[in-house]
Amino acid sequence: MSIQQLIMKLQEFWADQGCYLAQPYDLEVGAGTMTPDTFFRVIDQRDWNAAYVQPSRRPSDGRFGENPHRVQKHFQYQVIMKPSPSDIQERYLQSLRFLGIKIKEHDIRFDEDNWESPTIGAWGVGWQVLLDGLEITQFTYFQQAGGKDIFPVPVEITYGLERLEMFLEGKDNIYDLKWSDDVTYRDLRLLEEKEFSEYNFSQADINVLHKSFSMNVREARKLIRKGLLLPAYDMCLKCSHLFNLLDSRGAISVTERVKIISQIRALVVQITKKYTARGGS
Amino acid sequence: MELFLEINTEEMPGAHVKTALEQIEKGLRKKLKDVDLVDKNNKPGDIKTYGTCRRLVLCAETPAKQRSKQDVVIGPPKKVAFDKNNNPTSAAKGFARSNNVKVSDLEVIENKKGEYIGIKKEIKGEKAEKLLEEILPKLILDLSFPKMMRWGQSPLRFSRPIKNILCVFDGKPLAFKVGDKTASSHTYGHKLFFPKKIKVDSFKNYVSQLKQKKVLIDAEERKNRIEKQIKDKLSSLNARIYPDNELLEKITYDVEYPYVFLGEFPKNYLKLPIEILSTAMKVGQSLFSVVDKNNRQIPYFLGVTDGSPDSKLLVQKGNERVLKARLEDARFFWEHDLETPLEDKRALLQKIVFQEKLGTYDEKTKRIQKLARFLSKAAGTKEQSLVQAADLCKVDLITEMVREFPSLQGKSGGLYAKNQGYPVQVWKAIYEHYQPVSQDDPSPSTTNGAVLSIADKIDSIVGSFGIGLEVSGSKDPFGLRRNAQGICITILDHKISLTLTDLIQQSVSEYGSVLTKSQQELNHQCQAFFKDRLKYIYEKQGYRYDLVNAALEAGFDEIYHSFLRLKALDEIKDTPEFNSLIIVVKRVNNILKGQPKRVIKPDLFQEKHEIKLYTEYSTLKEKIFPLISAGDFRGAQEFILDIRSTIDLFFDHVLVMAEDPQLRKNRIALLRAISRLFSKVADYSQVVVDMDQL
Repeated sequence: MSIQQLIMKLQEFWADQGCYLAQPYDLEVGAGTMTPDTFFRVIDQRDWNAAYVQPSRRPSDGRFGENPHRVQKHFQYQVIMKPSPSDIQERYLQSLRFLGIKIKEHDIRFDEDNWESPTIGAWGVGWQVLLDGLEITQFTYFQQAGGKDIFPVPVEITYGLERLEMFLEGKDNIYDLKWSDDVTYRDLRLLEEKEFSEYNFSQADINVLHKSFSMNVREARKLIRKGLLLPAYDMCLKCSHLFNLLDSRGAISVTERVKIISQIRALVVQITKKYTARGGS
Repeated sequence: MELFLEINTEEMPGAHVKTALEQIEKGLRKKLKDVDLVDKNNKPGDIKTYGTCRRLVLCAETPAKQRSKQDVVIGPPKKVAFDKNNNPTSAAKGFARSNNVKVSDLEVIENKKGEYIGIKKEIKGEKAEKLLEEILPKLILDLSFPKMMRWGQSPLRFSRPIKNILCVFDGKPLAFKVGDKTASSHTYGHKLFFPKKIKVDSFKNYVSQLKQKKVLIDAEERKNRIEKQIKDKLSSLNARIYPDNELLEKITYDVEYPYVFLGEFPKNYLKLPIEILSTAMKVGQSLFSVVDKNNRQIPYFLGVTDGSPDSKLLVQKGNERVLKARLEDARFFWEHDLETPLEDKRALLQKIVFQEKLGTYDEKTKRIQKLARFLSKAAGTKEQSLVQAADLCKVDLITEMVREFPSLQGKSGGLYAKNQGYPVQVWKAIYEHYQPVSQDDPSPSTTNGAVLSIADKIDSIVGSFGIGLEVSGSKDPFGLRRNAQGICITILDHKISLTLTDLIQQSVSEYGSVLTKSQQELNHQCQAFFKDRLKYIYEKQGYRYDLVNAALEAGFDEIYHSFLRLKALDEIKDTPEFNSLIIVVKRVNNILKGQPKRVIKPDLFQEKHEIKLYTEYSTLKEKIFPLISAGDFRGAQEFILDIRSTIDLFFDHVLVMAEDPQLRKNRIALLRAISRLFSKVADYSQVVVDMDQL
């Protein structure tokens, strides 16, 4: 099964579970959790079921295309269901069976792993799911986002598509994976990994990054004042990515790190407060 | 009658299971007592608990009914209720009528005021079912976990979502609700292999059905099974696992029906140090590394699957592939980190926060260095290698290895230093300076390591307390208790002569103006904290609690001396002389209670036995102080035991409470002086004596 078949299978499976199939968000994000299709939908009280692929960027994980399983951009398959169904673990296992994995012949473990994202004031309780020792999924019951307790409680299931595909194809090198029958991961991504690693670690202009950061913070503040919360949140996402880039450039001092994280968090908390105050619309 | 309960959940962390089982046992015991579901001796029956990551199980014996009680209704006085001929008066008849009993049922009840008539009613106890249905939901809701969560729309907070509640009493289900779950007499087998409902009516039946359905509820049984299978797998290899109790414990709770499998990895990774190999196996995949008779890593590992053996070797192959990738990473980190000498990375510590208010690791390093220099004299170690080790001990925090495997902090730095050719006095101290990280972990083996360990830990304790962080109950975010224990154990193992006061003061002064508390306040807080830790350590080592108190109350500023005091007490605790001494001390203390302090006037002594006691006291005073400061508490105690018989004679022949106030005051002054002298060795009044033995 190729990656694109894997994606199609997951889309089919989760659509059958009642999820709306969203499209990837068009900004750089560190994880599917940060996109509006998750963030804004978990902080209000209405039911919500969605599933989508989200390309996710972690600049400092870049390895110039030389490491067989570390990349600065990877693909997550994100499922969010609120309230969390009582049989969600069983549904998840069913999704693996649907992919053709005979789980009784393997070792599936739900291993304690509590997730948190300080920049968006979010944390949850859950597991990393291990399949024969390979971490294929992050499984989280959201408890807080935007610094606010969340209820009803959403569950978030994040499949690491490359990991899962490595398992399905039995391969040791991410670049050997098949995206489709005749296109490999190498064909699609190797150059991108090389060039972006160079950019992330050496070429990104620290001054430009710093300036963009402050400009986006100012813009976010203005938009919050005007009650334009979705654009304001976009500015926060940009800040978060700029912060990650500054970090991979080694340009953030101790005190700055703490300051920057709490700066973004404060903006997200304000957005959350305003958004919920107006009834989540 | 038999009661059993199973709370079935999604996968809980092992630590959550353990704390919940303790709370269930204690909680149920208390609640049964509170509602009088107890036997004749006012004791609840046997309570046992079991658990896996998916189940909290309780099995208990309880009476069928609440203990019955007697209710007494008092009526009019007997004199009023019966006439001279012992016939009931209208008062008696009226009282009987209003209580719905016959006059002949009235009894005479005696109390402080005299004889009354009254009725004794037997109130039958409530049925256990009804009480248990009230107790058990509360028991479940009262459980608290290190981290609690909510799920779906359930109002509950728990470790992980509750899936099912089984509760059977005397073969029948109890009816109660917890959140949206109703208790019943069914449960489920292993989640993957036997997900269908099973009905149970007795605990025995429950255990045996679950066993068939791939669940062993007893952790001990699972652990034994794992250990046995490990042995079997390794028998042909003439090898054993690299011991790791923490990992074994984790796996024991992570699985319900363990099967052990063996796997291999390419030999070329054997050039990595065993610390790194075993950590790469343990973190994430929970694999055991395998060593030969000489404790050298061989290219194998062991893992555990849950519920089914790996008959197609898929689990083994999968784990081998994942492990190879991890080892490849580890090898990359190792080689990459080794390229730059530790001292070249030293400056980067300015970028890592130790604690927001306490500054960076660069600043911490500088404080540790000064503290180490201060400690070096007490520990008798050469300064130069120590100062270098202190300078480099935190550098591994910026290596890729520690970023990937934080538990390797210290060890990594030590291994890098060793491979980069630093002398053994330097690399070993770095390697060991986090030790002991737990109760099982040994303290540093080298003096340099010990000094560095103490310096690092006291800096964390004083700093955290100094900015107002607190340790309470289950809250100890910086592991300060473990740090303080580590300091104590290291000092004890290395017999380092050092006062806590000096150590704390030195650490406070290294911080300069960073701390918000005063030196005095901090000293006070730290002393109390260390006292608690010492108490914990000594009791854990098996010393009697009263002896521990006696030793600590006499002073623990010299930590090593507190141990010598305790040992001196422990060595004579079973002798009759010791018991007699304790009795005498208690007698002396009783006399001294409430008496003002006075100075001894030697010329006022007149009787033979008081003069003798005073003379012996004066000699004792001269001899005992050098012994105490030399830490010879055994010797000091010998003198105290010697003077004891003289005190006995004094009590036999001299009247302390003499009529002449001058004589009386002087005798009391003598006793107080002796008592004060004793208290320099131990607070004997803390010792509990078994009166039967006398």
